[in-house]
Amino acid sequence: MFTYNKNTFLNINKIIFSSLDIREVYQTMSNELSKIIDFDRLTITLITEDNDLYEAFVVQSKMYENTDIKKGDLYPMKGSLMEKVVQSNSPVIVDDTAKSQFVSDTVLFKEGIRSRMGFPLVYKGCIMKHQKLFHIDEKKYPIEFRERIIGSINFGSKRRKYYSKKHVDFVSKIAPQLAMAIENTRLFNRIKDAEEKYRAVVESSPDIIFECTGDGKFFLINPSVEKILGYSVHYFYDNQGYGLSLCHEDDQERVQSEILQLLNGEKNSLMDFEFRVIHKQGKVVWLSLEALPIKQNDKIIGIEGFCRDITERKKLDELKNNLIRDVTHELKTPVAKMEMAIDMYKRSFGKEKEFSNEKGLHVHNLLQNNIHHLKNIIRNVLDLSKLESGVEHLNVTGFPFIDLVEQVISELNILSIQKNNTITHQIPADMILKADKDKMYYLLVNLVGNAIKFTDNGKIDISSRITPKGIEVTVKDTGRGLGEEALKHAFDKFYKETSSLPGSGIGLTICKNIVELHDGSIWAESDGRGKGAKFIFRLPLPSSAK
Amino acid sequence: MKDLLIVEDDPEMQEFYRDMLNDAPFAVAYVSNGEDGLKKMKEKKYDLVILDIMMENITGDRLFALLRKDRHYKDVPVIMASSLDKQTYQCFQALGKVSFLEKPFTKETLINEINKYLQTPS
Repeated sequence: MFTYNKNTFLNINKIIFSSLDIREVYQTMSNELSKIIDFDRLTITLITEDNDLYEAFVVQSKMYENTDIKKGDLYPMKGSLMEKVVQSNSPVIVDDTAKSQFVSDTVLFKEGIRSRMGFPLVYKGCIMKHQKLFHIDEKKYPIEFRERIIGSINFGSKRRKYYSKKHVDFVSKIAPQLAMAIENTRLFNRIKDAEEKYRAVVESSPDIIFECTGDGKFFLINPSVEKILGYSVHYFYDNQGYGLSLCHEDDQERVQSEILQLLNGEKNSLMDFEFRVIHKQGKVVWLSLEALPIKQNDKIIGIEGFCRDITERKKLDELKNNLIRDVTHELKTPVAKMEMAIDMYKRSFGKEKEFSNEKGLHVHNLLQNNIHHLKNIIRNVLDLSKLESGVEHLNVTGFPFIDLVEQVISELNILSIQKNNTITHQIPADMILKADKDKMYYLLVNLVGNAIKFTDNGKIDISSRITPKGIEVTVKDTGRGLGEEALKHAFDKFYKETSSLPGSGIGLTICKNIVELHDGSIWAESDGRGKGAKFIFRLPLPSSAK
Repeated sequence: MKDLLIVEDDPEMQEFYRDMLNDAPFAVAYVSNGEDGLKKMKEKKYDLVILDIMMENITGDRLFALLRKDRHYKDVPVIMASSLDKQTYQCFQALGKVSFLEKPFTKETLINEINKYLQTPS
């Protein structure tokens, strides 16, 4: 029986594209198909990814419940009807399963099927090489159009020599659509799986993950936002403007300007951008934002990124900062007052008389020198504790290194001349150093100051060179040099070769901290006692610097 | 004669101020905390205020912020004196006439700093 009915054909097409659940599609379709083609058994088989196996995707029989060829099972391609269909890319008809040509014929013969027709399912459509959710940059992810056999649709009949050209003609009209529907479903399921995995990651992340449009409308934000800020995701979906209104008033302008710079392409990304947001219950929450622009066809259409709650860390930093500030105050105030008292004491003698006796002047100078020393120690200890507690942040800029070197030389030259030393430098005029200028100043003052301290009637030279590992700066002197032990411990906290040496013993420790804060290294070289010393620090080259 | 107000909670520091300013050609008033400072400033408009920073209750920086919001005091010059580093309080620079005096200071430094605002020879 074969009746070509246009309406049935249209119905089948409609059904094929009506749902993305292919088994549902199949069920309805097979009912329609049975009106046109008589079959006792219908299967759809699909090639698996490894090409050697095929999957019985759909198996339907009018004759029996149980069959040896079951839905969802995998079978070897070799020797199957499927293999012939795929290889020839054309329909294959078996007139009599008793005269077995294919592996499955024996099984089907036993189950009462005498003739068969296999028809290739050719998918004509686009195949995405890579799939990225939400935004597809077509330049990065090329879409390829091609034809591909994805499987076959197979009919079986109890009658011998049942299938003929007219069946082939009809099936050829529906097979392409069926192939497309099946492949689309598979693609859809794959995307759905990937999306579900992505969603699970997004939903369970402790950070706020978001995506929003150029005008600040959120189209994705995860539930963490409620835990962190107290507002539900709906608040963000319903309001435009990046949630800027929730920002602390002192930070709003800063946040807005950063977002604008991302949107107009002035910035490629935001990293560790810290700002305050007001929680629904009024408390201040510190967030650290990492964000990227969302691009489509090279046009920036929005922003995506995540925010981490750093309130605890900020509180700790503040505690540390306050502690350091209070300790600083407590240590410095009495020393400052002692200094002012000495000044008052000196003034009490009156301008014209100066000190009434030599002993008075001597006591004054003793006090002043020791207070000066105490002040230096306090300053160094405080500087070191700031560096070690991690509350100090680098303020990196690019500046001509020669200017800094010449400033340090001019400031220390008087000391140097007093000890009959000369200071020279070989810094190229065009050398730009990318570092924290204040800290580099401290570093140089310490290194050059040390060189002066330990050199008499000698030379001190500052030079630099660029190596593959970074920029090396050397402060070289012809002074007393360092013994083996001193070389080993020069940068240790409170290390002094002998206790009678001047200084607090932490200047070099601070230098080491400063260099390390810049991801660099520092070391000392000396040929031994009396043979001078070299202090060398190396900073990473700007290109490799963070 | 110009009026100068010094808000300083440390009696010894007040003594240094008195010693340094005893022959100065302006009137100096002293208070020992932020609250009294606010009271004094309501009674009379001073030409210059010197604030200690680390004080109980109302700290110098807090008091400074309050002054900048007060319409009588928003333009009055302020000197903030502290043993803390100047950079700690650099952020206040944006709020108008203010300078920093790091303790310890000498008589000369203090007089110079005051003269920047009162423009009367010492």
